[in-house]
Amino acid sequence: MTQTSPLSYTLVISGAPYSSQAPQTALAFAKAATAAGHKLDRVFLYGDGVYLASSLVTAPSDEVNWTETWCDFLCDTRTPATVCIASALRRGILNESEKKRYQRTASNLADPFEIAGLGDWVESVATSSRVLYFLPAE
Amino acid sequence: MNVLIVIDRAPYGDWSGRESLDMAFSLAAFDKPVALLFRGAGINWLRHGQLPEDIGQKSGERNLAAAPIFGVSDLLADQQAASDYRLTLDQLLPAASLVEVRPELYRQYDHVISL
Amino acid sequence: MYTLHLLNKSPDHPRFEACLAAVSADDVLVLTENAVLGLACVNETLPLKSYALESDVKARALQDAVAASGAKTIDSATLVALTETTHRIMSW
Repeated sequence: MTQTSPLSYTLVISGAPYSSQAPQTALAFAKAATAAGHKLDRVFLYGDGVYLASSLVTAPSDEVNWTETWCDFLCDTRTPATVCIASALRRGILNESEKKRYQRTASNLADPFEIAGLGDWVESVATSSRVLYFLPAE
Repeated sequence: MNVLIVIDRAPYGDWSGRESLDMAFSLAAFDKPVALLFRGAGINWLRHGQLPEDIGQKSGERNLAAAPIFGVSDLLADQQAASDYRLTLDQLLPAASLVEVRPELYRQYDHVISL
Repeated sequence: MYTLHLLNKSPDHPRFEACLAAVSADDVLVLTENAVLGLACVNETLPLKSYALESDVKARALQDAVAASGAKTIDSATLVALTETTHRIMSW
């Protein structure tokens, strides 16, 4: 393979953990891309992909917790990670301010994910050199 | 930069089509060129006369009728899918146009997205 | 500019055939997740430049099917390299 100058990537994940492999495939790609010297502009969770950002995900002790594994990677690499607000709210993924706004009993957005609109994704499409989508299994 | 969003899942049975439309409308809201392609079971999004009130959902047809006003350039209907579902042009939303889906169609766009 | 097609659906999913139909002669196809089962399908003829993600192939015990299919296995680093040479990337 030819060596190219570093590129910027946005990874969109629309498959949920435990009902699809999308978060795993995306993480393997993200690790390989950063190892190759590329920059991750953003990870964007959309559709069922927002379930990855639930801090309540509790995997059996002999299974990987994909939320924790992803959050560790995002913190280590200081990669911005956005959860689409419309996808998240209708699936019960809320941060503290949405919890207050809608007067819910709890919030569950895992750190370092942030909630924002599709505008973040539009910006990525317009500015990242590559945008990849990691889709559900069905 | 122009974007094609492909919807190949039927309306109402799951939310992927609705969330694909949200992407298209967001791009349009930021003045990015965007078109929609309906293929496979997704062609049924374009069927005229949808009444989803009894299943507690919003009308996809009404959404799509507004697409050109919001700046979505094209509602492309895969002619193979239309024929598979016995849909003729007059049974589709007025804004839809029939296309043959070939690799050349996808190549006209910088980004092709299907959820 | 060629297109890099990333396919993760199993061969019995409608996306599988739709993807193969969209692959031009100079395009590259990468099979990931359940799509690697296409390597074992007798009725699937894969495009000339087809790759399969090695970790998914190994997980599904398809190492022997790779050679017969004409595809090559790649790791995630090689997948990243494939994304370096085109910005036209389409997930199926």
